[in-house]
Amino acid sequence: MAMYEPVLTKGIGELDLTDIDVYRKQGGYEQLRRAVREMEPDAIVDMVMKSNLRGRGGAGFPTGRKWSFLPKDGRPRYLVCNCDEAEPGTCKDHLLMEKTPHQVIEGIMISAYAVRAAKAFIYIRGEMLEEYEIFCRALEQARNAGFVGEKICGGEWSCDLVVHRGAGAYICGEETGLLNSLEGKRGEPRLKPPFPANAGLYGMPTVVNNVETLAYVIHILARGPEWFASIGPVKSPGPKIVSISGHVRKPGNYEVPLGITIRELIFDVAGGLFDGRTFKAVQPGGGSSACLFEEHLDTPYDFESIAAAGSMLGSGAVVVMDDTTDMLEAAFVLQRFFAHESCGQCTPCREGTHWTEALLERLLEGNGRKIDVDLLATVGDKIAGHSLCALGDASVPFVQSVVKRFPEEFLRGVKGVPDVSLTAAR
Amino acid sequence: MTSEQTERRGVSGIDFAKLRAKLQPEIDRIVAQYPQRRSALLPLVHLFQDHIGYVTREVVHYVADVCGVTEAQCESVISFYTLFYRRPIGKYNLQVCRNLSCMLRGAKEIMERFRERLGIGQLETTDDGLFTYEEVECLGECHRAPCMQVNLRNVYDLTPDRVDEMIAAMRAGTFHVAPLVQTEHPPRQVRGPAWPRAVRKSAGAVGVPQPDNAGGVGDEQGRLAAERLREEGVMAVAAPGRFADAKIVEAMLPATTDGAAGEGRR
Repeated sequence: MAMYEPVLTKGIGELDLTDIDVYRKQGGYEQLRRAVREMEPDAIVDMVMKSNLRGRGGAGFPTGRKWSFLPKDGRPRYLVCNCDEAEPGTCKDHLLMEKTPHQVIEGIMISAYAVRAAKAFIYIRGEMLEEYEIFCRALEQARNAGFVGEKICGGEWSCDLVVHRGAGAYICGEETGLLNSLEGKRGEPRLKPPFPANAGLYGMPTVVNNVETLAYVIHILARGPEWFASIGPVKSPGPKIVSISGHVRKPGNYEVPLGITIRELIFDVAGGLFDGRTFKAVQPGGGSSACLFEEHLDTPYDFESIAAAGSMLGSGAVVVMDDTTDMLEAAFVLQRFFAHESCGQCTPCREGTHWTEALLERLLEGNGRKIDVDLLATVGDKIAGHSLCALGDASVPFVQSVVKRFPEEFLRGVKGVPDVSLTAAR
Repeated sequence: MTSEQTERRGVSGIDFAKLRAKLQPEIDRIVAQYPQRRSALLPLVHLFQDHIGYVTREVVHYVADVCGVTEAQCESVISFYTLFYRRPIGKYNLQVCRNLSCMLRGAKEIMERFRERLGIGQLETTDDGLFTYEEVECLGECHRAPCMQVNLRNVYDLTPDRVDEMIAAMRAGTFHVAPLVQTEHPPRQVRGPAWPRAVRKSAGAVGVPQPDNAGGVGDEQGRLAAERLREEGVMAVAAPGRFADAKIVEAMLPATTDGAAGEGRR
């Protein structure tokens, strides 16, 4: 598949798009003006629905449908942009915030208009201090130019955008955890239902969308939903920013049409593997996704195909591992992450992630028991689906997929087994 | 005043009332932008931590008051987030990414170099109060791994040599990132009490079997994992070349499948 022209990443690296004048020269804020002055909010919702834009944050839920769930009961509505990007391997929102903050602002404001929000919020991850500062400067420019605040673009509609900084918690990327954090509480996810569309921020109807998702709304407006829907597969169309990291020559953020194969992503887009190395495994959707292997390399990179292959597209973080990767160590590193980030509300997740980490550590130290490898392959079934949010579920796929595929790498951690690991061989 | 005394009092060397008065316009602006006061909790704690270096008890008391929550609720929220410090920390807060994308590109060497050069471990501060060290989860700069943050400023493409250069520059005061505000000399431990692994490993949790128990946790059909994997052909003994030692794999598999838990284990 031929490379597609960049959409969100257009101009990055060539122009200083953090400057509002530069951004406006590229046609920036034109769609916001058009939306507010010429369009009905429902018409925008219809366009997004027609485009079949699916959420770029991880779950892949159709954005237009999410918006259509908001009840029409006169209560104030809120739009929250989720910029708590912390999924291992994902760095796309960092890029958008740092390089094209005005695009993010325009996307938020158009979407806020479309859902008739009383106020818009953006929740920025605490660690993203530099991006936060860049964004705040851009917001000040946008406010002064009349794109945020009172009487936007000289029309009748007013809406403010509040920037809220997190303080270090992966779980705040979960939408209800984020809302709790925004309300000044611990970032613990809520029981659903009720869903945020009915009872979200301050108990009011709320939409939570990812940064990248909202940014695409501008371009759907500009070029029409048919254009967007024509890119890539019918069920999950559009361009997507993919963060490729790990054992590739050119790691980075690349905007590609969905439906490109994993092989193309690794070997064409990211420059392939290092000399003398062979491909071992790839995580197609960040730390929460199951590994895919050689036989999956020609799988199209879209929501359906990746799911059919037994993994998920998630946030679009492709982590490539070559033959030098120690899978036991990789499993431990990711499990430690989930154990660290579990909020502790639900027992299966709190205990499950922690004990799986302890078990992997024991294997890593060479003090494991034969039973441990067994346990690794099954204990995840007791964690997944048994807690309020998806964090517990997310801790399972990687470990299970690699234990099944490379049991010998885990068995070498059993006490008394001679270490024939890759680490030792190197 | 020793750091122990101040910690007990939870009061830094600075005049809180004066600082609060200075920050009042900013505090008012923050509170006013939310429909409910409580939302101002995180931003206010950030604001004070930026000026004091850590979150003192005076801050907790004041923020709780502004947000309309109890001090206990305020403490509870603050303790949830890793970027809030309840004890003074070093002037350079070194946070090295330990997640997968960085590990694949050599983060381990970076971490070893820091630990060796600074002589401190996870969440500890050097005696001179200059450095606090922490290994953290994914910082979202995976395309330029291994990466870290110094006082929340990104530093990319690390190498062990670069670590040496950075430490030297920070000691000399020439590093490009400004040091944090430090109103009090920090103690060695940043958070605590540190829980040793042994304490956390309470007996028998999640049904970890005894060493002489060669069983496992059964699935819905009561099959052990090894059996299931064998049935699925994943751990097929027919392909022994994949395993370190075929005998070990063989030994993993239970001799019979009819032994129920508790009686049939052999």
